[in-house]
Amino acid sequence: MITVKNLYHSYNKDDNFAVKDVSFEVKNGEIFGFLGPSGAGKSTTQGILTGLLKLQKGNVSVAGYDVKEIKQKMFNKIGMSFEQSNVYSKLTAKENLEFYRKLFDVETYKPEELLNLVGLEGKENIKAGEFSKGMKHRLTFARSMINNPELWFLDEPTTGLDPAIASQIKDIIKQKNANGVTIFLTTHNMFIADELCDRVAFIVDGEIKLIDSPKNLKLQYGDNLIDVEYINNGETIIETYSTVLEKDKKSLKNIIENYEIQTMHTKEATLEEIFIKVTGRELI
Amino acid sequence: MKLWYSFIKEVKLASRGFYFYIELFMALLLLLILIFVVPENFESRQSEYIHLDLPKTVKKAYIKEIKDKDLDGKVEKVEIENDDKVINSRLYKTEDKEIYIIDDKKDVIKLADKKQKIGAVIKLDNKNNLDYEYYLQGYESNRLKNLILIIHNVGTDTIKTVFNKQDVRPLSTDYEVLTDRENLIPSFLTFNGSLMGLFIIAAYIFLDKQEGVIKAYAVTASTVREYLLSKVGVLLLTTIVSSFIIVVPVMGLKPNYLLLLVFLFTTGFFASSLGLLVASFYKNIMQAFGTIYLLMIAMIIPNIAYFIPSWNPTLIKILPTYPMLEGFKEIIKESGDVSYILTISLVFLIIGLILFEIANKRYKKTLTV
Ligand SMILES: Nc1ncnc2c1ncn2[C@@H]1O[C@H](COP(=O)(O)OP(=O)(O)OP(=O)(O)O)[C@@H](O)[C@H]1O
Ligand SMILES: [Mg+2]
Repeated sequence: MITVKNLYHSYNKDDNFAVKDVSFEVKNGEIFGFLGPSGAGKSTTQGILTGLLKLQKGNVSVAGYDVKEIKQKMFNKIGMSFEQSNVYSKLTAKENLEFYRKLFDVETYKPEELLNLVGLEGKENIKAGEFSKGMKHRLTFARSMINNPELWFLDEPTTGLDPAIASQIKDIIKQKNANGVTIFLTTHNMFIADELCDRVAFIVDGEIKLIDSPKNLKLQYGDNLIDVEYINNGETIIETYSTVLEKDKKSLKNIIENYEIQTMHTKEATLEEIFIKVTGRELI
Repeated sequence: MKLWYSFIKEVKLASRGFYFYIELFMALLLLLILIFVVPENFESRQSEYIHLDLPKTVKKAYIKEIKDKDLDGKVEKVEIENDDKVINSRLYKTEDKEIYIIDDKKDVIKLADKKQKIGAVIKLDNKNNLDYEYYLQGYESNRLKNLILIIHNVGTDTIKTVFNKQDVRPLSTDYEVLTDRENLIPSFLTFNGSLMGLFIIAAYIFLDKQEGVIKAYAVTASTVREYLLSKVGVLLLTTIVSSFIIVVPVMGLKPNYLLLLVFLFTTGFFASSLGLLVASFYKNIMQAFGTIYLLMIAMIIPNIAYFIPSWNPTLIKILPTYPMLEGFKEIIKESGDVSYILTISLVFLIIGLILFEIANKRYKKTLTV
C-alpha cells in the first residue's frame, strides 16, 4: 500500500534533514505504527506521503500512485486525520461533514452516521467553534473516514481524549482494520501502538532505527516474565517464570493446573521500555 | 460541481463572518453619503454678473443669444441682496454659468467686489465691436486672464473654428454628462470593490490558515485551484452586490449594467487574485498587514488624483486603479466608450489569470505553512 525508498527531506533545502534516508513498506491491511519522540520527523514523513509536502528526494508510492506527481483523485482512496483538529469553526458539525463529502468522487458516509460513531450524536447542529477540544478532535477523526478510505492516515488519533472516548476510537480503528483498511498510525503513545499495530517503526532524528512487530520486539528485547503467587500446603509461595523458556513454561503450566493461584503478574517489558533500550531516547 | 459546492460553502462561511458585511455595510454607507450628504453638484455653476451697456437692438440680440443657451429657455427674475440693498436682476442658467443681468453698472462692480464673482460690463466700442470690461478679484490665474483676453480680442468666428478643430476627449465632456454626485461613483466602486476585495480575500485566507482547513482540503479529491476559485467567487459576489447597492439607486437605468457586470467581474477577479497572491507569502494577517496596507495606499492614489483634475502624473496611470476609475466612469455614462471598457476588462482578466496561476502554484507548495 505504501512503499518508501531512500526518502530525504530538508525544510531549508540544505543538509539539515528533517527526514534522512527513510525506507519502509506498509502492507495491505496492516496497521503500521510510526513512533518517535517530538521532532523526530513523523509529521514530515506523513506530509510527504499525503502530498502536503513536496517530495524532494527518494521514491514514494502511495495507494498505487507515485507521489512525485500527486494526482488529486488519489485522495478518493485516502483518509487523513490531523493531529491538530482543523474543521470550519463557523460551520456546524454536520455542515462540516456535508461539505467535505462533496469533495470526493466516491461513495461517502452520511454525516449523521459518522457523528454517531464518534459519540457526537445530538451535536450535529452545533457550530464546531463551540466544541471542546476533544469534540473537535473527534470531528476531525470522523471526517477522515468519510470517503471510506483504503488507506487511513491517523496522526495522534487518541491524544487529548478522555479514556472512554479514546477506547471508543481505538475500537473504530480496529473495526476498520478488520474490514481491510490499511492504517498508517503516527503517535508517541506506545500503549496505543502496542495495542493496535501489527508492525511499528521507531524513528529518531529523522532516521528509522528499527521496524518490527511489537510481539517480536518484546521477544527480542523484553524479558517477558510472570510473577506467580500460589498456595502450597497452606503456604503462600511467590515465584517468577519466563514465558519464553520451555522449562519455565512447563513449570508454570504445572502450577496453574495443580495449585490455587492467588495472583499472577506479567512483568512484560513495555514497548516504551524497548524503545528507550533500542534508541537510547525517551519518548517525549 | 465540486467548485460549486465549495463556492456555496464559502458563501455560507462568509455570511457567518464579519468581513462579508464590511463590504455590504460600506456600500450602504457610501450610498447614504451619496444621497444625503453629497449635493447633486458641488459648486453648481460659475456665476457672472453682467451689465449690458448696449444699444437696444444689440442688447436684444445679445440677450436672445444667452436665452438660447439657457437650460429651460426661461428667465428668472431674482433679487440679490447686497449690503442691505436689494438688486433686481434677470437670471439665465446655462450649462456652466449662471448669468445675472444687472441694470445698474455700479451694482455689477459692487457685486463683483462683495460676492467675489466675476463681473463684466459689455458695451460697444467706437468701431461697433463688443467691448468687455471685466471686474476680477485679483486672484484669478493668468490663464483665465489670458483666456478672457483671447476670447475678446479675436473675432468670435475665429474662436468657433478653433473649437471645432479641437479633438474633444470624453474626459473633458464628463462634467457635462455626469453630475458631481455621479462623478463620485467610480471612486466609490473602485474603493469598495477592488480595494476592499483585496483586503477581504486575504483576511479569508488567513482565517482558513489559522483553522488549518486548507490542509484538510488538500487531502481531498478536489484541487487547490477549486478552493481558491471558490474564494474568488465569494469576493466577486459581494463586490457585485455592493456595487449595485451604490449604482442602482443613484444612476437608475442610465448605466449599461451588462458592461458593469463584465467590468466588476474582471476587475474584481484581478483584485482577488492579487489578494490571494499577497496572502500566500504570509502566515497571518499581522505579518501581511504592512504589505496590504502599502498596496492599498498606492492604489488609492489614483482615487485622490481623480478629484484633482490638475494633478495627473503619468506615474499613477500605471496603477491598476486608474483604468478602473476611468472604466467605471465610462460605464455609468450613457455615451460610454464600450471598446475602451472591454479592452481594459480583457487586460484585467489576463493579468488576473496570471496572478491567480502564480498564487495557485504558491498555495500548492506551502500548504503546511
Ligand atoms: N515547517 C517547518 N519548517 C522548518 N522546519 C520544520 C517544519 N516543520 C517541522 N520542522 C522540523 O523538522 C523536524 C521534524 O519535525 P516533525 O514535525 O516531522 O516532527 P514530529 O515527529 O512530527 O514531531 P511531533 O511529535 O512533535 O509532532 C523538526 O526538527 C522540526 O523542527
Ligand atoms: Mg507531528
